[in-house]
Amino acid sequence: MRAQALKGHLDGMLLAALEDGPRHGYAVMEALRVGSDGQFDLPTGTIYPALRRLERAGLVHTRWSEDSGRRRRLYELTPAGRRMLDDERNAWREFSTAVTALLGPLPRPVTS
Amino acid sequence: MTGSPRSTPADRPVPALAGGPGPAPAGLPAAAEQVIGSYLTEVVHRLIGPARARRDILAELGAGLADATDGYRPAGLDPDQAVRAAIAEFGRPEQVADGFRAELTAAQARRTALALLRTGPLVGLLWLGAALASRIGAQLAAPWHWANMPVGARLVTHLAGIAFVIAIGGALVTVATTGRLTRWVPGWLPARPRWLGAGSAASAAIAAVAVGGTAAIDIALLALLATQAVSTPGRLAALPVAVAAVASLTRLTLTSRAARKCLTTSVACLSSPAGA
Repeated sequence: MRAQALKGHLDGMLLAALEDGPRHGYAVMEALRVGSDGQFDLPTGTIYPALRRLERAGLVHTRWSEDSGRRRRLYELTPAGRRMLDDERNAWREFSTAVTALLGPLPRPVTS
Repeated sequence: MTGSPRSTPADRPVPALAGGPGPAPAGLPAAAEQVIGSYLTEVVHRLIGPARARRDILAELGAGLADATDGYRPAGLDPDQAVRAAIAEFGRPEQVADGFRAELTAAQARRTALALLRTGPLVGLLWLGAALASRIGAQLAAPWHWANMPVGARLVTHLAGIAFVIAIGGALVTVATTGRLTRWVPGWLPARPRWLGAGSAASAAIAAVAVGGTAAIDIALLALLATQAVSTPGRLAALPVAVAAVASLTRLTLTSRAARKCLTTSVACLSSPAGA
């Protein structure tokens, strides 16, 4: 359920993880995990195809970097990626404001 | 051995790759590298697509697994436990490979379509050169103006014209649907991964159709050449004609392989839970 809900917003969150500068795939995964306080814990192997898709869409661009003998693929936002991140952010704000307005007032005991 | 000042990279265990050896993740104990290597081998056996893309994927996964392994060491795990934890975190090999399927299919389709668009003008120019050198239709070297063209050949040139439109159209559609346009696939679609898989499969199928169109053009050109060679053999300029014919034959061979690859990846993409 959580993983399903996450999928629709994965692109936005991947882009957000790259906002502060280039990162390699594993660092993006860690940023997602740490940033969500462990809530979003996808199989790490599934992050890489998603990043590749963003590259194909021209939202990130990649280069190889060599560091301590490990060749890593670095992902960096393109201007289009930055615009897309802004769009996703605005859309999410509108959506979550609406959902909060509708769900918020109901006094329900919190069960998980 | 005093002859070698340092150990060569060949000493390191390298995962056996179908597309040639990729860089093994460095800086881990040999045993850990071996475990990663056999995991990567299991992944790569399930990947279908351009060799270079598969190599890149393996290099990236290898470095990621090495980073993950490093990450588990401070938690007090020994190298063997750490590498197993890293692999568990990445997911089962078939799960990881499935995730790449839509991407690899799109990459195969795109690569094929771009190859068609890049080589098309060259092959066209070679045939044009051959026609001009043979003084066939010196003002206008289009094949339907070639000398002594029988009705059958005329029909073939018209079919080739249709094939030309199909090839160019298919290649352009493939390039468009595997590139930047994909950014406008709405992100809120709940079934998005499945759509992606279907989209890539469709792109690859269209690329295969474009390849078919190109093959039809080459076959038509070679057939026309054969007709010309039989009807007026003395007229053809041997070298330019031979070069053009070899170019078309080469393209036929290469594209039939490319079409097979596109269809294979397309089918594989549809038959798996792509993007899982």
